[in-house]
Amino acid sequence: MKELQELHLPENLGYTEDHEWAQLTGDTIRVGVSDYAQDQLGDIVFVELPAVGDSFNRGDEFGTLESVKAVSELYLPVSGQVVAVNQELEDAPELLNEDPYSNWILEIKPAAAEEYDQLLTAAAYLELLQG
Amino acid sequence: MKTTPLHNWHVAQGANMGTFAAYEMPLWYPAGAKAEHLAVITAAGLFDTSHMAVLTIQGPGARALLQRCLSKDLDTCIGKDKTPLVAGRCVYGIFLSPLGGVIDDAIVYQFTATQFMLVVNAGMGATIAAHLREYSGDEQVTVDDLTDQVGKMDLQGPAAGRILAKIIKDPAALFRKMIYFSFKGSFDQARLATAEITLKDDTPLMVSRTGYTGEFGFELFVAPEHIAKLWQQLLEAGRDEGLISCGLAARDSLRSGAGLPLSHQDIGDWPFTNNPWLFTLPWDADGSGFSKEFIGRAGLEQSSESSWTLPFAGYDLRKIPLGKESRVTDLDGTPIGVPLTCTTDMAIDRLGETIVSLATPSSTGRPEPFSPRGLCCGFVKVNSPLAVGSQVLLTDGKRKLKVEIRNDIRPDRTARKPIAQMVSSQE
Repeated sequence: MKELQELHLPENLGYTEDHEWAQLTGDTIRVGVSDYAQDQLGDIVFVELPAVGDSFNRGDEFGTLESVKAVSELYLPVSGQVVAVNQELEDAPELLNEDPYSNWILEIKPAAAEEYDQLLTAAAYLELLQG
Repeated sequence: MKTTPLHNWHVAQGANMGTFAAYEMPLWYPAGAKAEHLAVITAAGLFDTSHMAVLTIQGPGARALLQRCLSKDLDTCIGKDKTPLVAGRCVYGIFLSPLGGVIDDAIVYQFTATQFMLVVNAGMGATIAAHLREYSGDEQVTVDDLTDQVGKMDLQGPAAGRILAKIIKDPAALFRKMIYFSFKGSFDQARLATAEITLKDDTPLMVSRTGYTGEFGFELFVAPEHIAKLWQQLLEAGRDEGLISCGLAARDSLRSGAGLPLSHQDIGDWPFTNNPWLFTLPWDADGSGFSKEFIGRAGLEQSSESSWTLPFAGYDLRKIPLGKESRVTDLDGTPIGVPLTCTTDMAIDRLGETIVSLATPSSTGRPEPFSPRGLCCGFVKVNSPLAVGSQVLLTDGKRKLKVEIRNDIRPDRTARKPIAQMVSSQE
């Protein structure tokens, strides 16, 4: 288990209380799970992804991650429509353990761009983890 | 929160720690629960099990007390010929309440005709000691609860014998006739005397050919001051054999795939009937009744329990989380019971109708290469005796998972393999 100060929390991402991250790249937003989430889950062995074209509201459950011990829901950080999913994860879910940031889960076209600005900064997210 | 003597080691290794029966225990180490599970199938794993409780039962009335309280008939519990428990042998059994519910499961070790040792689950030492004293009647017997006074670790997997041989003074003597469910040595000759087994550095230990993974291996008992040394010696001796330390997550997935119950989860305070573990009851020669009187007998005979506990395996590795909402339903969605254990055996996969394990020999059906993705498995408690092959759904209120009722889950387990084969072969 990583100590909190060992967690890698890139400054250029927005975070949620549910341990997802979001990154604005052009006019789409990439979404993944934080280093804390992958460390807590342990070996991720299965990723259930939505279909391209599905639309979700902020906070909606859009998929699940399964580790050897647990099943964990994924919640969307901002509202929008899925424009891409990371198919690589279907055959190699362990990529999320290896690097939870370069291995994004899905990409959305945001429905309300201002929601992105309401996400937690890396510092605020770390503070949340520190309790 | 209680800890074991290896707690600092677990934390220093970066183990993900969790609470189990009031002990803070490693769930998995940085290698991950999947690698740990697979290591026990293909090489070996080392588990800290010092949280489990050890008791001694001694005196002229010790055997009679165990006969009264344990589900096994100690006079007929060994082998096909149903011979009595003798010194150097151990048996698995259940302690039942008068109503026939499970208080705990245990392994009973016979040292002499008047000296026995019990291993029960974490946190159950005081409960079982009180239970035994309550039923000791006029017997001359002393029950001692040695909770937290014995160091215990489990070395499990096909390489376990070769690894242990490297640190034992006389491995040939130890392994001679060391059949499944036998033991040698003692962790405290003053308390439980028997022919000594020692490490190369003369540390005494007790070696039991048991474990709770379904795989070949040993449970090792030492005085608590020796546990860190033994742990390190084994890890070092096993480095070339692929030995890694393993946490409770791998222990849970291994025992589930092996069809073994977790006390207070798969067996518990409901009548011990209609389940896969009735072999622990003292059946008479033709299996129609019981061969002895024991606490819980009347409860079982009068039980009108109408639930059946059955093993299952899924069709892929997906699980459902267990909670208040989790249910078993028939394929139409009608609730028929609850899941008791739902985990993933990472060493197996389906090949058509058959389940194949990483340990399955290629000559009997393991394809090459074989990279199993794992299968969800565990136990359900349902309201009718579903036939093997029946399909049911597991649900957590949101997701639904189709699984198959089975007799057995992970094939080709190594626990009962002849020891000579396991310590000589390099396979």
